[in-house]
Amino acid sequence: MGRMILLTGGSACGKSTYAEKLAVEAAAGGPLFYVAAMQPFGEESLKRIERHREMRCEKGFETVERYTDTAGLELPVHGGTALLECLCNLTANEMFSGENMDENSGDGSVGEADAERAVAAVVAGVKNLAAQTSTLVVVTNDVGSDGGGYDELTMRYVDALGRINSEMAALADEVYELVCGIPLPIKR
Amino acid sequence: MILVTGGRASGKREYVMSLGYSETDMADAVIDARPVIFNVQDMAMRDPEGSAALLERLCEKEVVITCEVGSGVIPLERRERDGREAAGRLAVRLAQRADRVVRLVSGIPTVIKENNGR
Repeated sequence: MGRMILLTGGSACGKSTYAEKLAVEAAAGGPLFYVAAMQPFGEESLKRIERHREMRCEKGFETVERYTDTAGLELPVHGGTALLECLCNLTANEMFSGENMDENSGDGSVGEADAERAVAAVVAGVKNLAAQTSTLVVVTNDVGSDGGGYDELTMRYVDALGRINSEMAALADEVYELVCGIPLPIKR
Repeated sequence: MILVTGGRASGKREYVMSLGYSETDMADAVIDARPVIFNVQDMAMRDPEGSAALLERLCEKEVVITCEVGSGVIPLERRERDGREAAGRLAVRLAQRADRVVRLVSGIPTVIKENNGR
């Protein structure tokens, strides 16, 4: 497993920009992949995806779209650099996409078994990418910092992503929180 | 310009008062002659599209205080999402221009950016 860097922080805190900078520096002209987990739903996310794509334009990223099962993802080249963005989308996709609905509850709802499966799938997915890269930059979001108060389903998601973030941070060589575009080292 | 950030009620204004400013120096989400402005995140959230245009005038302030509003679950309401993102992006740009950035956590200030000798 190569070097792994985890970036966290709120919405629009400058994570993407910093993640790209780290990945481009690490790649140093070598193979550079962008693993995109955001599924386009409607105009807003298409616009956001387009914005991110523009930001990556001419930086040398080859985009690989992968919404679920990153554990089964095979990058075109091993030993390069990859940027995975982001765990919040990946976790939501694993939890809420149709084929993963809780078989145990049997009512098509998202239950604790789905959450467990999502956590395992995301953790295995990141490990798989780390095994194929010399540097892996992973972007996540600190969704647990507003005190909660959401419905049961949303809280299940918040809890799942919190567990994933902790596991990833334990695994990572470096962890930064981005505040106003400034990286604050949490672990290194 | 000094940018002061942190969560709601994290001690941002108290910190700025410790720098020698008084409450009468502080404007609440309005750009006027006062040297300090706070609740800049409200300005961005009220008018996400127009928030980028605030940057230059905010950079003329001595101290700009903005709340971190991007943490937590991404809101379902589009207007709320846009507002949070506008506030975040404006804060990133303010931090780029600031001579010093201070982040408050539980009333404790940490200087997270300092331009020395400029």
